[in-house]
Amino acid sequence: MFEYLAIVFSLSSLLTIAIGTVAGVAIGGMPGLTATMAVGLLVPFTYTMDPTAGLMLLGGIYCGAMYGGSIPAILLNTPGTPAAVATAIEGYPMSQQGRAGLALKVSVTASYVGGTFSTLILLLFAPLLARQALAFGPAETFLLALMGLAGIISIADENSSLIKALIAGLLGMIIAVIGTDDMSGSLRYTMGMIELIDGIDFMPALIGLFSMIQMLELAGMRQKSIDTSALDKTQKSEPMPRGIAKHIALGSGTGTVIGILPGEGATIAAFISYNFSKRISKMKELFGKGNPEGIAAAEAGNNGCVGGSLVPTLTLGIPGNSVAAALMGAFIIHGMIPGPDLFTEYANRTYPFILSLFVANGVFLIVGLTFAPYLARIALIPPAIMVPVVSAFAVLGSYALNNAVFDVYLMIGFALFGLILKKLGYSLEALILGLILGPIAEGGFTQGMIIGKGSPWIFFESNIAKVMWVIIALLLVPPLISYLKMVRQNAAGVRSS
Amino acid sequence: MLKRTFLAGAIMSLGLAVGAVAAEYPTQSITIIVPSKAGGSTDRTARMFTEIAEKNYDGFEFVINNIPGSGGQKGFEAIARAKPDGYTIGLVFTPQLVAHIVSGRAGYTLDSFHVMGNTAQDPAIVVVPKDSAIMNMQDLADAAKADALTVAVNGIGSDDFLAAKSFESKAGVEFNLLPTKGSTEQKAAILGGHVDAAFMNLSQMIKQHAAGDARIIALLTEERDSHLPDMPTAQEQGFDVFMRATRGFVAPAGIDPAIQEQLDTMLAEVMASDEFKDNAMTGSIFLLPMSGPEYLAYLEGLQAETQAVYDQAPW
Repeated sequence: MFEYLAIVFSLSSLLTIAIGTVAGVAIGGMPGLTATMAVGLLVPFTYTMDPTAGLMLLGGIYCGAMYGGSIPAILLNTPGTPAAVATAIEGYPMSQQGRAGLALKVSVTASYVGGTFSTLILLLFAPLLARQALAFGPAETFLLALMGLAGIISIADENSSLIKALIAGLLGMIIAVIGTDDMSGSLRYTMGMIELIDGIDFMPALIGLFSMIQMLELAGMRQKSIDTSALDKTQKSEPMPRGIAKHIALGSGTGTVIGILPGEGATIAAFISYNFSKRISKMKELFGKGNPEGIAAAEAGNNGCVGGSLVPTLTLGIPGNSVAAALMGAFIIHGMIPGPDLFTEYANRTYPFILSLFVANGVFLIVGLTFAPYLARIALIPPAIMVPVVSAFAVLGSYALNNAVFDVYLMIGFALFGLILKKLGYSLEALILGLILGPIAEGGFTQGMIIGKGSPWIFFESNIAKVMWVIIALLLVPPLISYLKMVRQNAAGVRSS
Repeated sequence: MLKRTFLAGAIMSLGLAVGAVAAEYPTQSITIIVPSKAGGSTDRTARMFTEIAEKNYDGFEFVINNIPGSGGQKGFEAIARAKPDGYTIGLVFTPQLVAHIVSGRAGYTLDSFHVMGNTAQDPAIVVVPKDSAIMNMQDLADAAKADALTVAVNGIGSDDFLAAKSFESKAGVEFNLLPTKGSTEQKAAILGGHVDAAFMNLSQMIKQHAAGDARIIALLTEERDSHLPDMPTAQEQGFDVFMRATRGFVAPAGIDPAIQEQLDTMLAEVMASDEFKDNAMTGSIFLLPMSGPEYLAYLEGLQAETQAVYDQAPW
């Protein structure tokens, strides 16, 4: 193990990791640039690099980008990755209250803990856990998507417009129906357009619904600058809130577990962690209004996915998400086919790579903590500068996803459509959740039904499935009871008055 | 540069020497359209080619343009639509290239391309979970007759799907087909024992087979493969089912013959070089060099076969 540590702690390795991580933070922070895209584009360039250094660079980008997404989410309400949407729900209100400094600090700390914990699990238990994860089939995938969709409820009962949040979630799922049906190969609502054959990419939707709408609203504000009292507060450093560790731990655990499951992503992890955290919180009423606990859980959750997603990738060659899939390409071009060989024949490359992830997490922790007070000031940039810059990035980012102008139109379409919905009080977070999780739920459901040969019993058969149903019930029933109570009280109030 | 192009055009229109154009070529970098994401096996095949071509041929520079989506269709159409000036070529992969034509979705036909040659391949395989009782293709057919087997294929109209359909008709059985989104889901389904069998490609499962995590029971090629010499083909086991994925180079039809000749020769020479072969070995890319005419004949044959499957069971 010492020889591996020596490889990681050489000057050139440290520099490579640092460059990768800082670049990753920047990529994650920009609307439209994603870790998947960055890793995918860089994989061919590592072709000519020393394999270990190349992998370290990509690992740094992965870790950095996962955290970087939270910075604009908190400061500008423009999540750079879908996994940071939950962070924006709590982070942006904190920024508006002048508590951006604390929000950033909580986010970077939670990201660090989540990332480090999951890497530790990867280092120690990878082969064992990967075997367990295989028991997780399409039926369980469906249930996991349901757990994620339960997050719509927790977004909803903030504004108590449960019905509107559900409608928005449904709308997202309906939009996701567009494209090729993977089960039959038939085209659904593509209207003969080749651009729609792959369906609606959620990234243009994310950029349109959040970055672009935020800029439209900023531009439309009567008041030309944010009040300066926020600035004074930003400069004051707030201590970490008490009891936050519990939420970070919850997020780290949830994120790591969901990361390990084949084919599941950071978005689900962030939303489920956020939802869990809300359920156990003693300050439930503060959720949606700037509760650092929500940021802690969501950020620990999405960074927990990094190490988690590499567990099945390295041991079985089953990438845990799209970034891990791109990373797997880098292993393969250097002749390192994922499987047991990585830990024996190529141990001198694999272990330094895993160890480098600890360093990468440390790098963004230091960068994040050092720059938090300066970054917090980004929120104070006048709209006259902010709006054109972010809008330009939104257009470029949408184009860069698939080098397609169509995605730019899609992004603008989502911005206009979303603006109307937002003004009418529909939750855009619920819409994006439906858009991302709808297809996962659909795929899991239809595959489950095929494997079960038409019997829905498969969704209740395994022990994992049973446990998941209990968790879903725990997530859904209490909010439903409190909602019904509220409706009855309102009704009683109306009658007595 | 504009001036030079103009001049070249003028010479050509005068009907002087076509060779003069070829002598001028290339004056700018050549775009290679890769109809899949950066980092995938088609992308790596393209980059292996450019690395060696740029090194060995003075004045040639390549830019890779990834146009992923719709099972390659977006990229294939982009190649077909490109200006045939010798500055855009691309990669295609089968059977998707012909499957899109057969299913009536493609905005191109094989005539839209000048086929330059095939580079790589990936044999189709049949794989079962490691503790499955199915040991060979006969077992698979018998088990499928006794009870509908759940078999994972990578999407409708893919090579796996076509191979599974072909086996169904040869063996007189019907599978409970499970379409997946990509080989990752297939791999997870086999390793986790969620399905009875899967039709996949060799490169996707060769390590898992070697590690004992899954069991390959047949190769669906005409002859055995050097990467797994002990594995019998389906044909040896009495089932004439053939499928492989191929990845080759094409250009838009109508390029100046002298320029096209230059590009075709370069492709053949690069593929014949030892360095290319070594890189392919490290990168787990199985080579299957075919000349332009050979590959065109292969594509035409494949289109006819695919058409037959489509006519029986359209998707």
